[in-house]
Amino acid sequence: MSLWAKFRQNRFVANTLLFLAIMGPGIITANVDNDAGGITTYSLAGAHFGYSLLWSLIPITFALIVVQEMCARMAVATGKGLADLIRESFGVKMTFYLMLALLLVNLSNVMAEFAGVAASMEIFGVSKYISVPLAGLFVWLLVVRGTYKLVERVFLGACLFYVAYLISGVMAKPDWHDVARQTLIPSFEFKLDYIIMLVGLVGTTIAPWMQFYLQSSVVEKGVAPEDYKMVRLDVVTGCIIAPVVAFFIVVACAATIHHSGTTIATAKDAALALQPFAGVHATWLFALGLFVASIFAAAILPLSTAYSICEGMGWDAGIDRRFEEAPQFFGLYTAMIVIGAGAVLYPRFPLLDVMYFSQVGNGVLLPVILIFMLKLINDKRIMGEFTNSRTFNIIAWVTVAVVILLTLMMVGFNLVYGM
Amino acid sequence: MIMADQFFIYFSELLGKAVVDVNGRPVGRLFDLSIALNNDIYPRVKGLIVRRNALAGEYTEILTTDLARVQEKIHLKVALTAIVFQKGIIDSEFALRRDLLDQQVVDVENKKVVRVNDVHLLRVDNQFHIAHVDVGLRGLVRRLGWEAGVDGLVRLLKKDAPYLAHEELVSWKNSQVLTLGSKKNVLKLDVARAKIAKIPAVALAELMGDLDVFEQLSLFRSLAFDVQLKVFTDMAPDDKAGLVELLEDHEVAQIITRIPSDEAADFLMAIPKVRVQQLMRLMESEASKRLRSLLGFRKDSAGGLMTTEFLSLNSTATAGDALAKVKASLDHAVSIMTVYVVDDKGRYVGTTTIHRFLNEDPAKPILAVCHPQKVFVHADDGMEKVAVLIEQYKYSAIPVVDDDDVLIGSITVDDVMEELIALAWGKYKDQI
Repeated sequence: MSLWAKFRQNRFVANTLLFLAIMGPGIITANVDNDAGGITTYSLAGAHFGYSLLWSLIPITFALIVVQEMCARMAVATGKGLADLIRESFGVKMTFYLMLALLLVNLSNVMAEFAGVAASMEIFGVSKYISVPLAGLFVWLLVVRGTYKLVERVFLGACLFYVAYLISGVMAKPDWHDVARQTLIPSFEFKLDYIIMLVGLVGTTIAPWMQFYLQSSVVEKGVAPEDYKMVRLDVVTGCIIAPVVAFFIVVACAATIHHSGTTIATAKDAALALQPFAGVHATWLFALGLFVASIFAAAILPLSTAYSICEGMGWDAGIDRRFEEAPQFFGLYTAMIVIGAGAVLYPRFPLLDVMYFSQVGNGVLLPVILIFMLKLINDKRIMGEFTNSRTFNIIAWVTVAVVILLTLMMVGFNLVYGM
Repeated sequence: MIMADQFFIYFSELLGKAVVDVNGRPVGRLFDLSIALNNDIYPRVKGLIVRRNALAGEYTEILTTDLARVQEKIHLKVALTAIVFQKGIIDSEFALRRDLLDQQVVDVENKKVVRVNDVHLLRVDNQFHIAHVDVGLRGLVRRLGWEAGVDGLVRLLKKDAPYLAHEELVSWKNSQVLTLGSKKNVLKLDVARAKIAKIPAVALAELMGDLDVFEQLSLFRSLAFDVQLKVFTDMAPDDKAGLVELLEDHEVAQIITRIPSDEAADFLMAIPKVRVQQLMRLMESEASKRLRSLLGFRKDSAGGLMTTEFLSLNSTATAGDALAKVKASLDHAVSIMTVYVVDDKGRYVGTTTIHRFLNEDPAKPILAVCHPQKVFVHADDGMEKVAVLIEQYKYSAIPVVDDDDVLIGSITVDDVMEELIALAWGKYKDQI
């Protein structure tokens, strides 16, 4: 036996290779979660409340893992996407209206992503009339002309750019002792602004589209049930990386902007406000991170939406198909990019209203989807031996109940105060 | 007189209809239809599953013999007092809403997987039969309850729009249901089965790629054994692995015994060792012995590429013997183009091909019609050497010998091509 063959048969090496082949869906999904909207929320949390919200990232991580693991498990157990399962178990009417809501909410999210592209490139002095059309063209070509493997590699590569935030966070020279204390010891302020921000953090981290995207991409990978533990590892890794990135964004803004008492309204403000404290390089890194995150999400969101809708409606879908084979799929994908990018270029476009709508929409949609997921995952006819265990079920229901409660609170606040 | 279109009714039009008893008292609403599973081409609806009190979830099944007529409401022949409700859904063998509506079926006529938007029922003497499944946009719109609105709108825009008359119905004869197969016995649809058998194996294998593993299993089990063999050979490696995981060991063992041994070996190398051991135990000893020897070689070596099914003759044989051997092997999965000649100890002596002895005097010694050179490879030689030899001598197959020169296998040109194409395709894919 050759040395290489021996090497490959080593259990640890074999497992590592298997993991490298399977990894992707979980890590990509969780990272896209830190999109333009996410970065804005984390920046505002840090800038306005300092380190005092850091503790919430730990329970959020836990909730994210619980929810995403169920999606991945459904994918492996059934070989079907979430929209497929919802259609088969809850009928076409429910599916249609759910998909319609998902389309509208995701479309407004896509607009926010292109706005993120515009804002970050303006920091580098590039006009949005150049950056946004080019970004739109790039993401469109990537999916329409690319293969699944290529797209996944590009996305995985993009995940590395989030290191920019880690560096920004360190460059902001935070008081690490204070950071650690406030992360590990939960605190609470009975102030409306504080509660709204807390709820906003949960809402931006656990979004409806993620469940559809993760499940579809695990299905696309074609993972065998006995390799499920590798999928779980991928999902858990992603669910930990994402809040870690969020943590550094909060820290960067807290150590500088909050310290000086400046108020900001957008992620661009945050990037610019870093300059006096951490130097121009920190601003650039922050802007670069925002750019990559926005463009990354601007590719994934339309893709995920088109997939889910085609699955649910029974139309052919898949990026490895030709345009004529899957017209609805490519049509939806293209339309979302064109409308999303076009909206940002339209001078009088009410972007703040759209972002407000997308937050409320996410909040209304999420409870419905989470409840469907819990019903599906406990259905023995669908899941076989992969249903939730008793203990996990209690954890899942409690998690979902808390998430739903907080999301509904966010919707309430939004409706009353117009966040 | 009944109008023609009253012979047909869509399932979605019945769903949710109020059900009343013989005295017109409300019983509940139609929730599902249970189907009698037998060999009818158009299976009959056996019972109406009626739900009352959606919150408490009380159900009852009413046989279609108790059905009086279907109008605005569904009228029964029996009285409410004679109907017993039970808590929880009634578990029927095959129910339309649960097992067909919104599920995927194979349209065997057009060879594709489609999603069922509605079911078209044929109504004869107050009995309902499944006639078609509706897979089109109109069905979707009807289910959403927008048919009148959308029709009106389309008519307004274009009076004779193709949408208005375009029903995409797939005859029940041509639909293969996939939901039941993985759990129970496959629905016996002999007509669909017969049609499926006519789809080329390559197309079926491709179709399998569009299904999830359980649907694959269901479709696969509905195939005749010889079709199963062909489809299995043509399936993508990932699909194969997924399917085999769900098949019973004895099913897999049967398949592996009957496909060419080199392909069986390739496949066995890709699945977990434990499973291989289990399968080996179930196989005929002869087949498992051959496979075991193949599994010992590297995948890209001559030993890994070769098949152990080949024709060979003793060096004392004649051209007539060779011809007889070829004729006897026509039904087996073995290349008849090449016949190898071996000595008493099984050592390789020479190669002859069918066109060299076909028209020869049957009494002529086989050695006289052999190719002059002894061209062969060792089991541990690389694929490149095999490819070069095949190209150089224009043989369609190359013999493989072990360290004692004993003939152990044969590599045909298509085995090499397959590997080379995979290699070239991998490089090509990396470029784009």
